[in-house]
Amino acid sequence: KPPELSPAVRRLVEEHGLDAAAIEGSGPGGRITKEDVLQHLDGQEQS
Amino acid sequence: MAKSYDVIVIGGGPAGYVAAIRAAQLGMTTAVVDEFVYKDGEPSLGGTCLNVGCIPSKALLDSSEQYHKVSHQLAAHGIKTGSVELDVATMIARKDKVVKDLTGGIAQLFKANKIDWLQGHGKLLEGKQVEVTPTAGKKKPQTYSAENVIIATGSKPIDIDAAPLDGDRIVNSDGALEFTEVPKRLGIIGAGVIGLEMGSVWSRLGSKVVLLEAQDDFLPAVDGRVAKAALKEFEKQGLDIRFGARVTNAKVGKNVTVHYEDKDGKQSMQLDKLIVSVGRRPNTADLFTEDSELLLDERGYINVDENCRTNLPGVFAVGDVVRGPMLAHKGSEEGVMVAELIAGKPGHVNYDTIPWVIYTHPEIAWAGKTEQQLKSAGVPFRSGTFNFGATGRARAMEETAGMVKIIAHAETDRILGVHIVGPQASELIAEAVVAMEFHGSSEDLARIIHAHPTLSEAVHEAALSVSKRAIHKAN
Repeated sequence: KPPELSPAVRRLVEEHGLDAAAIEGSGPGGRITKEDVLQHLDGQEQS
Repeated sequence: MAKSYDVIVIGGGPAGYVAAIRAAQLGMTTAVVDEFVYKDGEPSLGGTCLNVGCIPSKALLDSSEQYHKVSHQLAAHGIKTGSVELDVATMIARKDKVVKDLTGGIAQLFKANKIDWLQGHGKLLEGKQVEVTPTAGKKKPQTYSAENVIIATGSKPIDIDAAPLDGDRIVNSDGALEFTEVPKRLGIIGAGVIGLEMGSVWSRLGSKVVLLEAQDDFLPAVDGRVAKAALKEFEKQGLDIRFGARVTNAKVGKNVTVHYEDKDGKQSMQLDKLIVSVGRRPNTADLFTEDSELLLDERGYINVDENCRTNLPGVFAVGDVVRGPMLAHKGSEEGVMVAELIAGKPGHVNYDTIPWVIYTHPEIAWAGKTEQQLKSAGVPFRSGTFNFGATGRARAMEETAGMVKIIAHAETDRILGVHIVGPQASELIAEAVVAMEFHGSSEDLARIIHAHPTLSEAVHEAALSVSKRAIHKAN
């Protein structure tokens, strides 16, 4: 089941062509926050 | 052999009664000891909030607002009312009925949940024994034992030596809800939440209100820009707020004479009534015996950890009698948490997202951090604001004063604080609390659909404004 995304996370995921299932969520119940996506993107740039 | 319970709660206010209902829902035998007696002589559940706090003050705030609206604001809508009459006795009686209905409602909820209401003063003895001294008659104290004790004895208004209460001319917040006529000249010591709300009630009904505030800052816990906007509105309404004004002496004669000192030296004034509202203190009077070994902290609050556990196993304390903001909903949530922990379930209170409300007009409401807190903590942030005057709904309502301010982390965009002064701020803050509870970003709020035309659009636009893309203003 794909993770539930908040509006800002949905936008980032689409804009950067990300796989939401590959992003670790730190929000309540493991939800992905905008901060999590930004960190995920930072990690991608560095590698 | 005295009766024994799974849970005995001392105090039937918002923290205690909610804890009791939740404990009973979870299948525990529960009793609540409460000593409050309403002004008609009847024992009454609900504590400060229902009897002499949140509820009666909101009842009078609403009535006085209606009066003020009819007297001063309807003309702008093209409604001519002629002369408007005020009947303070009816207004107070309506307030009393609201209180009675709600406190009676709690007694009904206790019955429905099979909670025993022990009317009297509760005292913690050693070994989780609770002694109850009955309120009425000359009945002897009874001792009950409990597996768990929840202390929820609340708070009391702080008295000051400079202005001793006389129960008529010089009163605290309890007395300020009971004036039988509108005082011509009303003084209030303390321009905090209670002082501002009581000042608003009587000012709307015609009192000339002067608030004497010892501090130089206005509402220091409120975001600076929001506090400034609110102060401007209150002064426009005629509230005379004097800062750095330290009361040295208040005496009752034909009038109340108040002496105070400010930066210009010694001052004095004559008043018809004086309300002392400098703050509230935890109520631990005759609450425990020494051999119970309950620990207080250095400020007189019962010492508790983050789960409201005291130093004694099986003894918890919640609400105004422990650290944290003195707010009814804070106490209630602690009550729920403790009941759930006792039942072996997970329980926690998120102290970072407790909403605060001041029920003036315009209302002030906020959740999270203020700009000044973030600056002093060195947290990088961006903020966005939006004025209600730029929303169609506020214009249609003729309620254009105030704004929404949203503060988000500069790098992660997580919402750190939402601050509102304006119409229905108390309701609008709920959206911010939900967003913050889900660790939302300002962009989340900005991308969520808000109905048009509504006041909530000011929240939406303020969120958009954080990233300088508000539609209805020049960013």
